[in-house]
Amino acid sequence: MRTKVIGYYNSKFGELWNKSLADLIDEAIAGVLQSVRLARADIDAVFFGNMLGGILENSLFNSALIAQIMETTVPVYRLEAACASGGLAFQTATNYLKSNKNKTVLVLGAEKMTDVSVERATEALTAASAAEEQIAGLTFPGLYAMMAQVYLHQYRYDEEHLAYISVKNHYHGSLNEKAQFRKTITVDKVLASPYVAYPLKILSSSAISDGAAALILTNDPVRVKSSRSAVDVLSSEVATDCLAIKNRDSLTELYATQVAAEKAFCEAKIKRNRIDVAEVHDCFSIAEILAMEDIGFWKRGEGGKKAKEMSTQLGTNQRLVVNTSGGLKAAGHPVGATGVKQIGELFLQLTKQAKSRLVKNAHFALAHNVGGAGGMAVVSILAV
Amino acid sequence: MINPIRAWRTQKQIKHLLGKSGKIITWTTIYVTTPDFKKQAPYPVVLVEYIDGERAYGPLVNYGDCDLSIGKEVFGVLRIVRKGNSDEIIEYGIKFKPKA
Amino acid sequence: MWGRDPQEIKKSLHITEKAVAAADEDAVTMAYQSAAMALDGTSINKEEIGCMFFGSESFPYAVKPAATIVAEWLGIGHHYLAYDTQFACKAGTGALISALAMVGAGKITYGLVCAGDKGTARPQDLLEYTAGSGANAWLVGDKEVILEVIATYSFSSDTPDFWRGIKSDYPSYTGRFTGQPAYFHHVGTAAKNLMAKQALTPNDFAYAVFHMPNGKFPLQVGLSLGFSEKQVTPSLVVNQLGNSYSASSLMGLAAVLDEAKAGDKILFVSYGSGAGSDAFIFQVTRHLKKQRKSLKKQIQQKKYINYPTYLKYMDIIHEGSL
Repeated sequence: MRTKVIGYYNSKFGELWNKSLADLIDEAIAGVLQSVRLARADIDAVFFGNMLGGILENSLFNSALIAQIMETTVPVYRLEAACASGGLAFQTATNYLKSNKNKTVLVLGAEKMTDVSVERATEALTAASAAEEQIAGLTFPGLYAMMAQVYLHQYRYDEEHLAYISVKNHYHGSLNEKAQFRKTITVDKVLASPYVAYPLKILSSSAISDGAAALILTNDPVRVKSSRSAVDVLSSEVATDCLAIKNRDSLTELYATQVAAEKAFCEAKIKRNRIDVAEVHDCFSIAEILAMEDIGFWKRGEGGKKAKEMSTQLGTNQRLVVNTSGGLKAAGHPVGATGVKQIGELFLQLTKQAKSRLVKNAHFALAHNVGGAGGMAVVSILAV
Repeated sequence: MINPIRAWRTQKQIKHLLGKSGKIITWTTIYVTTPDFKKQAPYPVVLVEYIDGERAYGPLVNYGDCDLSIGKEVFGVLRIVRKGNSDEIIEYGIKFKPKA
Repeated sequence: MWGRDPQEIKKSLHITEKAVAAADEDAVTMAYQSAAMALDGTSINKEEIGCMFFGSESFPYAVKPAATIVAEWLGIGHHYLAYDTQFACKAGTGALISALAMVGAGKITYGLVCAGDKGTARPQDLLEYTAGSGANAWLVGDKEVILEVIATYSFSSDTPDFWRGIKSDYPSYTGRFTGQPAYFHHVGTAAKNLMAKQALTPNDFAYAVFHMPNGKFPLQVGLSLGFSEKQVTPSLVVNQLGNSYSASSLMGLAAVLDEAKAGDKILFVSYGSGAGSDAFIFQVTRHLKKQRKSLKKQIQQKKYINYPTYLKYMDIIHEGSL
């Protein structure tokens, strides 16, 4: 039987002062089990995505922490791929279910980032970059800024085109009660905000956030039958690319996204124009623009123009709506949780539980999760 | 913390970039940064490409606003890259200077 | 900033402006730049350099040779003697005499001598107006020399005119005592003794270069020895560069090399507080023409900064690391 997603839970994303990483893990596990009325003992394996536990609080061996929380002895796999940790956890779970019949697994992503200063968090995030990039004083936003510079220069766009992505995602975020940022913003407001790394503005960049998200996946027909909701996983593919952006042939394309997307569509046996709703990796506005081109939704170089048209916003009667969760930008980006949240958002859309941000008649959905500045990409396609 | 042994290894790899000329293929100015670089912010970082295909990252120094552009010719100079407290080693390395 | 009249300062110190190294520059980076420039003009095999001596009073470490840091970046191999030396403003010239001796005795083929400082001075102190940054490098050998060394003479003593304690950031000095008993006594005596030894008089020289703690002293000592203004002023870059401590007197020599002709004799006398002077008689050869570097042009490539920026560059105001 094909793998299905049958349950989802996520915590609020934001500055959760009262929650530790362990608390967030606990909340997500309990929340998702309750939502599908399963017990801890019903879980055969856990797949956990987290990037900074080791760096920020010396907490790396969280597999055992999860076993402790769940009072279990089942396998717990910890996956790390920078910002694609959650997506990789999901993808690995689907692999596991391909080779293990009649199993039910828990996919979990969590991150605790707000206990430290902005500088310290910025430093921690540079762990997703190459040594020579760190030595040169480049930050993680700096890498995307370098790519943005080439893109804007090559296709003659400017900062304004990037701002439209933030505006759209903030509008979606205002409809998501779990999002970190609930206020809508304007292009002017984005352009008036300070720079993080030229030409990327603070309001074009995802924030530092805490949060956790969890999914239940199963290939057990009995389990599926007794579930209220179920969404098919048509494909989930991973691809990698050079860590250092200077080693790549192109600074305006993420090959990892292109390869993963091609593999995912091939495996799912559907065309790109069938996708109704997508969660695409917008750690910075430029990332969403590049992603739309790399996945193949938009033609190479037309991203800036398409962004300005706001064609992927809810309510525009266009087929493809992107980042109804608010994306990384408005929902927040607790690194390890994001990839899991993306699948979860699509699950809510396809099972008509997305409330005021529901995309009507959605049948096919795509999630795109990127690690670092493109060193890894996970593309997954879901359907009802 | 600056790791002296890592800096010693790095020196061997980048020594040849001193005086070597290349072109800026992209750049950014870092505003929000890590504790090690906080004192210098904001600072520009460039990615340089050489005729032989090699590429290298580095901060840009002694520049005017018009030097921060794709295509500008620059060359490698020796500068202090990182300096911590008085018990730490001083890390020297490559930065880029625009060609006159 | 400290309430003094700039015109008064200019008049009394004969200094208009000074050069300051940026926050990410120090004696090492400046010495490297100079040495690379020196080697650039020649076609010698770098690995035949048998010594690397570095004179400064602002070394990056109390213990760790700066000479080998510069040498490593220059890529001169490993078959050389290296040491750092300090003798206030004459550290470089003392090292030059040693390098010349090693080459002259056939012990080494080439010697490299660097002098460089990111000169510090206590804020508000008068010294702040003159303490500057600079470096120069000199390749010593016996083939195709640009300057022949006719003779040298060193005059040394224990004189408390200017010093810096081990744990102190800034130097201290004994006011007017730094004049006659210190600078003038050592520079004057060294010059007189060397000229007497060689049976030469001021008329035999095209240029006279003296250490420049300010724009007044070198002119004063030159005139008192019988030199004319015309012989002394070409070397007075202190007016625009300030006093780069160990690099200072040699900077005056570099300025003179911008215009000196083959056959010209140069009297060169350094001064280091504490105290001592190294005097040299150089003769310019026809090879200088090929090697001219144009210090004048470099002095014109400048950007003015304000006082807070100067304090930041000198690490006098700081928070966290560089």
